[in-house]
Amino acid sequence: MAAADSPSTALRRRDLCSRGIRLAGKMRADVADLLDAYVEQQGLDASASVAAVEGVPLAAVERWDEQTGTQRLLENLAAYRAFRALLAQMLEEQREQLGEADAGLGRALAAVLLQVSAFAYHLEELLRLESRGIPGEEGDGPPPPPRLSLFEQKLRGLGVLRELAQWAVRSVRDLRQLAKPSPATGAAPGLAESP
Amino acid sequence: DSHIQYERVGADVTMKCGSMDWDAAVTWTANGTDIDESHLNGSYLILKNVDLSQSGQYSCYEGSSWHLKYQTYLRVGTPPKEPVLMCRSNNYPKGFYCSWHLPTPTYIPNSFNISVIHGTKDMVCEKDAIPKNRCHIRYIQLFSTVKYKVTLTVTNALGKNFTTLTFDEFAIVKPDPPESVVAKPVPNNPRRLEVSWQNPSSWPDPESFPLKFFLRYRPLILDQWQHVELSDGTSHTITDAYAGKEYIIQVAAKDNDIGTWSDWSVAVHATPWTEEPKHLTTEAQITETTSASTSSFMAPPTTKICDKGAVVGSGAVAVCWTAGLVVAAYSVLFI
Repeated sequence: MAAADSPSTALRRRDLCSRGIRLAGKMRADVADLLDAYVEQQGLDASASVAAVEGVPLAAVERWDEQTGTQRLLENLAAYRAFRALLAQMLEEQREQLGEADAGLGRALAAVLLQVSAFAYHLEELLRLESRGIPGEEGDGPPPPPRLSLFEQKLRGLGVLRELAQWAVRSVRDLRQLAKPSPATGAAPGLAESP
Repeated sequence: DSHIQYERVGADVTMKCGSMDWDAAVTWTANGTDIDESHLNGSYLILKNVDLSQSGQYSCYEGSSWHLKYQTYLRVGTPPKEPVLMCRSNNYPKGFYCSWHLPTPTYIPNSFNISVIHGTKDMVCEKDAIPKNRCHIRYIQLFSTVKYKVTLTVTNALGKNFTTLTFDEFAIVKPDPPESVVAKPVPNNPRRLEVSWQNPSSWPDPESFPLKFFLRYRPLILDQWQHVELSDGTSHTITDAYAGKEYIIQVAAKDNDIGTWSDWSVAVHATPWTEEPKHLTTEAQITETTSASTSSFMAPPTTKICDKGAVVGSGAVAVCWTAGLVVAAYSVLFI
């Protein structure tokens, strides 16, 4: 049976979760704005269905309420690392294709990329607090995507941003679960688990 | 033999008397009343341009023997129009429900079939016992970007119709209104009202899925509402109420992150605290005077019928008034 958290650990976790919730909330709002701008400037239909994009982590999860704290942190971290790379690719494509024409969109993309990076770091902090090893990043990111047409790139970008928006909501929920004290041990639910 | 026959409003209906020949002598009745021969063509009963009032039991009897040869129950109605379908999650993240109705009655029995698809997966919508035009679905996945597609088909003997709704998981989240809204005055504060409420009982996990609230209030004498949005907590103190004016107050709820606002709660009424007139604040001591010539003011005893206090629930108004609220001075001259 795992030992109860020290008060300082519990406080630190609560503090990190609260800040993480605020970060995720801000990120969600900015992703929503970015999505609107992206749809408009790329000439897309906001209601268009986009097939699952290879390499984009899906926020959809079954039995979400049964996940342990560690599972939540690890899945979130893997997702935001993937988004970091995907957004960097989108930014690069944006700059190549459109130059200065959509500087505003480029800036918005860069701002969200920064928030995604910050949130990934925040998740690493939470994992360190739980004395969990931080999984290494696989290689230098996702493999280069197959050469896509401009329209396919735009649709892929739409898929990336939509999924990121879902993740931002999920992350807020995950961190709230993490912040809940466990009644028996005082630790966050799912984190004080046997190895 | 007896059976049910469904016909559209406005249709022309021909009823045969079972296996009787066209030229057989028969008598037709509708709900036990003989039908005039003008409606007969031989032994066939002809009903032109039927309306709803012509629904009923039609019987055909052989002319001389009065043997019952045929009986049918005619139900006049209409094919269904496109049904109205609504889906909503008031218990996120457990699931959602869909409910439906027909915009106009058909006057004949209808059956409803609902299908729910999430991506490529069929989901089961479990019918509710009450109300019967409702079913609910448990979420298998959360945080999915894949839309849900709900198709409702309504069928009756005269036709069928359907409607389809497509929506995101987040879009249909709408809590029930807050419950147990209470508004009370704050002692010694003529411009304050303390309002408290509870999360709707249907919302399963307000700790993990907190709600935010919207409060609106106005004095009864004005039409303009004041609004306050509250990101946490289930209470609020109004600090700018007009002194002495009765207020109407309502609260609505929304998930902190997704979905839409609930309907407004039941309205409650309250009036801010007001200072009692000093000569009526306590049970007055009635002093008797035997003076020959005096003008005396005798304060009547005060009795509070009820305390100015909390008002709860369905729009009831608590009125507190003091018996003997006549503030008139009597001058009595005794000679």
